[in-house]
Amino acid sequence: MEEQQNQETQKKNWHDKHYKTLLLIPIALLIIGFVYMGFFYSQHHDFFLKDISLMGGTSVTINGKTDIPSLESALTNKFGEVNVREVSDLVTGEQIATIVDTTASAEDIKAFLEDYLGYKLIEGQNSSFESTDPSLGKSFYNQLLIAILIAFVFMAIVVFILFKTPVPSGAVVLSAFADIFMTLVTVNLLGIKMSSAGIIALLMLIGYSVDTDILLTNRVLRRHEDLTLNQKLMSAFKTGITMSLVSLIAIFVALLLIKSFSVTLTQIFTILVIGLAFDIFNTWVTNVSIIKWYMLSKEKREKSE
Amino acid sequence: MVYALKREKGKIRMKKLSFRIWLLIILLVLSLISIFVSPNGITLFQKGVLITSVEQNSTAFQYGLRQGQIITAIDGKPISNITDYSNYIQEKFPAKDEIKITITTKDSTVILYSNNAPNITVSHIPKTNLKAGLDLAGGARALVEAQGKDLSSSELNDLIAITTNRFNVYGLSDIKVSPISDLSGKRFMLIEIAGATPTDLRSMIENQGKFEAKIGNQTVFVGGNKDVASVCRNDATCANIQSCQQDSSGAYYCKFMFTIYLSEDAAKRHANITEGISINATNPEYLSQPLDLYVDDVLVESLLISKDLQGQVTTQISVSGSGTGATQDDAYKAAEANMHKLQTILITGSLPYKLEIIKLDTISPLLGQNFVKYILIAGIAALLSASLIIFIRYKKLKQSLTVILISFSEIIIILGVAALIDWNLDLASIAGILASIGTGFDDQIVILDESLHKTAYSIKQKIKMAFAIIMGAYFTVLVSLLPLMWAGAGLLKGFAITTIIGISVGVFITRPAFGDIIKRMGD
Repeated sequence: MEEQQNQETQKKNWHDKHYKTLLLIPIALLIIGFVYMGFFYSQHHDFFLKDISLMGGTSVTINGKTDIPSLESALTNKFGEVNVREVSDLVTGEQIATIVDTTASAEDIKAFLEDYLGYKLIEGQNSSFESTDPSLGKSFYNQLLIAILIAFVFMAIVVFILFKTPVPSGAVVLSAFADIFMTLVTVNLLGIKMSSAGIIALLMLIGYSVDTDILLTNRVLRRHEDLTLNQKLMSAFKTGITMSLVSLIAIFVALLLIKSFSVTLTQIFTILVIGLAFDIFNTWVTNVSIIKWYMLSKEKREKSE
Repeated sequence: MVYALKREKGKIRMKKLSFRIWLLIILLVLSLISIFVSPNGITLFQKGVLITSVEQNSTAFQYGLRQGQIITAIDGKPISNITDYSNYIQEKFPAKDEIKITITTKDSTVILYSNNAPNITVSHIPKTNLKAGLDLAGGARALVEAQGKDLSSSELNDLIAITTNRFNVYGLSDIKVSPISDLSGKRFMLIEIAGATPTDLRSMIENQGKFEAKIGNQTVFVGGNKDVASVCRNDATCANIQSCQQDSSGAYYCKFMFTIYLSEDAAKRHANITEGISINATNPEYLSQPLDLYVDDVLVESLLISKDLQGQVTTQISVSGSGTGATQDDAYKAAEANMHKLQTILITGSLPYKLEIIKLDTISPLLGQNFVKYILIAGIAALLSASLIIFIRYKKLKQSLTVILISFSEIIIILGVAALIDWNLDLASIAGILASIGTGFDDQIVILDESLHKTAYSIKQKIKMAFAIIMGAYFTVLVSLLPLMWAGAGLLKGFAITTIIGISVGVFITRPAFGDIIKRMGD
């Protein structure tokens, strides 16, 4: 017990000395992120790569087994860029369907596939068709971006109402922003094409990421028990890291299982896993450093008065 | 509930369960009722097949078979599933001569004479009242906009009334047409068809509908204000449900009648055409040919023409029809709905706009069934791994088990609400449930952590502090979900709604109960 406390004091000492320096890491990451996003935007004229649910096009699911590589090359010859994926049984791992995503219209791709496969595709029976008009995809995209923006602003307002003090509230909002921004950069680095489900995941991230930040800020600002600042930070860290790890592992386990069959849920969970990992970093490095700085300088001011 | 049992075993001091725990228990029971109890009994234990549609004007319909009834036996032979049903029907039909079959449903017995199989479709009885969304259960969905026109809310409602009516005329009943508006205020019509995809869906939507009233093959008037000057509606003196009766099979039917006023041109046409028609020999009160009402070239109603109207330039015409149902109330409502449909179509005529499908999804039901199973497996695996970490972290078995139990009860209550409000659970909704369970876990950790924390505070104060954090987090998630209710033509509403239900149930019901349970464990 005593040993543990000693260790903690040592850790705290280290943190007391370096917490401001630690803040340089998120700042550096954010700057690199901004530069990368600027570069990305100049290349793609967009903040991320979009899949057909946001761009318009057709997604066809063909039930049963199909040889994917040969289908893919046939499709690429005819339609240019296509995306062919396998859906497999969770238990046996056997292929149960093939998904083809293309910007071509439903009629065109249907005609081609029927020709290639040698049988009729009956919509809603041996196959599923989801087609989105490009105009709708575009409006989806614009609106979801607005939705994220509004959601973020709403969240920021609630945080400011909750804590009433600008610096700690700002720290919470900044960490939430950093979570979403760093996640987006990672998604782009991985070359993931975002669907509307992916944007939902970014929204979910707003909620998940402020959880631990609120816990931290609450413990530090609101508790009037006779604990030192570092003790408060440590207790918040213990609770918060349990929360994040539990969520992270639960979502990771679900992701591993769901990967084989649901594209939608796979994307949501992948983004959540990335986001939660950044959340751990941003809460316990970015947010902690800012709030510690704020509390210590407040203490100093109070003493000098 | 387990907690209450433990109390009986005397492991924990005898003490009244708090209001919050009772609330959780009561809501759990209500949710289970909402999920598993249907008007026909407990869904899990029902045997038989469910009638999903009955062809209008078929013998089966005339003798009182209706959508929603459950067939339990045919000719005294018990029918417990689809296989039983199709085996028996295939064995009997088609028959050379008319044969008698006795169909026993939950609440009536219908005797049919026919040489063909009854014109009904059946399905297995759903195990729960939960409805799976399109991406899991299969079916079709079309998002429709008016070409080159921004619809006002009332224009959209008229369009929906006409479209719904049109689908019913085509014999599609399991269909939902709803108004959708997005963040920019643009309005759409969303058409959802559960289960099977009709083959000519696209043409059905994009074709404009037309109403015609004919005598023989001569058109008297068509829908729309050129021929129909006005239609009485929402006025009981000239548009009402007249009488309700029970027929021999026990089903009810209600008759409606409303007045329409023809334009002068149409009235003259009526006079010219009726002049040449003889009086009905068997029913001398009426003319020998009826006035047939067609919608998109399908006959929907034949009205007898009173002999007094023969050759008269009459602008006032009474249009009648009926509605049927298993109870008088149902029949009354059906009659009202039918009257409204006919009124709408007479008022608006054919579709006022050219429609364009901007999103069409036709989903095969085959894959979705596996998906539901897989998602359950994945969900349970996630729940167990999360609980395991909580157990490793706190090393308290009782508390960790309570966390699992509370999470399960949260899922049950969310599903209960979904069944109650008839919500279709699609993949996005399931993601929403997972999201709320996830935040639920986080909140329970906060409560657990606060309560196990060694400080001078009382357990009651600790739980109160935990709730300060939880409520803060709740409101941030709540507000961040609101824009999704409208963004993307409302197609992502499922996610927003289930998450909002989930986190609200969590914050107001399960977590307070969890707090109380932990309080008792801590006392």
